[in-house]
Amino acid sequence: MSEPIPAKPLALKSSEFRRGREQGWSALELLLDRAERRGVKSLRPAELEQLPLLYRSALSSLSVARAIALDRHLLLYLEDLALRAFLVVYGPRRDLLGSCRDFLRRGFPLAVQGARWHVLVTLFVLLAGCVAGFMLTIGDEAWFNTFVPAALAGGRGPASTRAELLDDEIFRAWPGVIDSFLIVANFLFQHNTMVGILSFSLGIAAGVPTLLLIGYQGLVLGSFLALHANRGLALDFIGWVSIHGITELGAIVLCGAGGLLIAEKALFPGRYSRVESLARVGGEAARIAIGAVLLFFLAAILEGGFRQLVASTPLRLLIGISVAACWITYLAVPRRGDTQ
Amino acid sequence: MISVNERTARFLNPVARVRREIVTPEGVPLQVELADYGERLGAFLLDFVFLILTNILLYLALIFVGGWAVDRRVMFTIALFLGFLIRNLYFVYFELSWRGVTPGKRIVGLRVIDRRGGPLLQNAVIARNIMRELEAFLPLGALLSIGGTGSVLWERLALALWLLLFALLPFFNRDRMRGGDLLAGTMVIAMPKRRLLADLVEVTASAEFTERQLRAYGVFELQILEELLRRPDSRETMRLRQEVCERVCRKIEWPDPVPPRETLDFLRRFYTAERGFLEREQLYGRRHEDKNSTVGR
Repeated sequence: MSEPIPAKPLALKSSEFRRGREQGWSALELLLDRAERRGVKSLRPAELEQLPLLYRSALSSLSVARAIALDRHLLLYLEDLALRAFLVVYGPRRDLLGSCRDFLRRGFPLAVQGARWHVLVTLFVLLAGCVAGFMLTIGDEAWFNTFVPAALAGGRGPASTRAELLDDEIFRAWPGVIDSFLIVANFLFQHNTMVGILSFSLGIAAGVPTLLLIGYQGLVLGSFLALHANRGLALDFIGWVSIHGITELGAIVLCGAGGLLIAEKALFPGRYSRVESLARVGGEAARIAIGAVLLFFLAAILEGGFRQLVASTPLRLLIGISVAACWITYLAVPRRGDTQ
Repeated sequence: MISVNERTARFLNPVARVRREIVTPEGVPLQVELADYGERLGAFLLDFVFLILTNILLYLALIFVGGWAVDRRVMFTIALFLGFLIRNLYFVYFELSWRGVTPGKRIVGLRVIDRRGGPLLQNAVIARNIMRELEAFLPLGALLSIGGTGSVLWERLALALWLLLFALLPFFNRDRMRGGDLLAGTMVIAMPKRRLLADLVEVTASAEFTERQLRAYGVFELQILEELLRRPDSRETMRLRQEVCERVCRKIEWPDPVPPRETLDFLRRFYTAERGFLEREQLYGRRHEDKNSTVGR
């Protein structure tokens, strides 16, 4: 190589390529600017049709540019353009109403059925807590004060008499719209939903706090039951609780099951990485939690409205049983088809 | 082994963001830049302020509408209840209807995406925001209540510490995911916003440089030169260009000295020729990574 070889004048492939495609890119950029600022809805139908085409061609431009172009700015620009278009094209689905219907019809029951073992385990822990609370409190009512915080006890305790419990609690006159609304919205719904959300999200801490929380709810319930049983009111109490309690406890159990589902995938990721495995189950678990929050809402309505309106124990038990039957049919009957 | 592009990026901007790759459903890998901790905290604080403002507005509206007509306790309850709803729906609503962006994220320029490059599903949005209660609002409440009276101080401290562990999760994983992201399979990235600038070259390169001269450099040097040419004109830029021009002339043994006024023009012509040469070489499967590359020698 002693003699310098003059290079032939040559056309730059990358520059030619850019000239050929530039128009498409800037058209896409304009659409993206508008979609990002004012939402995809602001695009006209014709533009909406164009968007995925322009997106695909931007992707292919990027692939070509990576192979042939050494223009760093061009590469970075295309990288950004493709990413922006990708984010707009594959954004979340916005049809909220349709997906709500889909959720109620299939998504929620299917998610619960998928987690049936977790539901059973949570239910078992709740019952175990309930039995323990009952056994302890029935022998020594001092346990009641240990298990039940003052805010939940609402003045009830070892000092309550049979008559007090009957008149002030189980067959208290319906206080009217305003007061029952107050109780429900102010305390019960928020409290229960928080318990639910917590037992769900603590699943990420290997599920132990979830089970503790669920077991504790059982303790409280069992303790209440024992207090009433000691005064010969066990059946009346069950009737009083069953109107809303079935729905409410069901929701708590579902939240706990969601938490356990998360815990299981975090502890035993199987053939996926731990993070991957969590991400795979997260959406499913979230479905259960959302359904549970809806149940809490219904329970609160039942509790505030119907509980004191229906003043006979057999009727209350009947309502409780039919509510339970409804939920079991809704959640446990197999459904066809899979959701997204 | 890092790519030349990565090397150039690090050379030009040593404190650049951390990057990750996602693969679109079409199978094309795309680079995304992870959001910084500060940005995410900023976005959350902004959203928190908006949340509080919304609540205050709501209370004012309630007082205005029914302040004298209805029982005060009822108003209070309605306000609390709506506050609870708003707190839990704010993030879900915006991340769904604004496609992974909340007002705070929008101001800071962040966005939630699916970690694997799929579409961001509703379930994912809901999952990542249910966890917020545990990660943000409970620790906030616990921290605020430390000074209060009622229960033992060390119990509260222990609780706060335990809850803070959840809040600090993003510091313990390389994708900076909080618990919600972990569960939902999402991550938070900085929004890209580059505009297309003019091309630096004409379509044809002149033949004034010999192949041997062009072989002196590789892709890395080419991209650094590109950056220098794209820099806005300033005294500093002029000085740098002058210096680079002298070095190039020495390296390729350019016979005539380049007068200072023609520096930019000369560098452009050299850039064009070099890029044309390197691109052609790459097309033939000979990629010259940098000046030390031995490909095709």
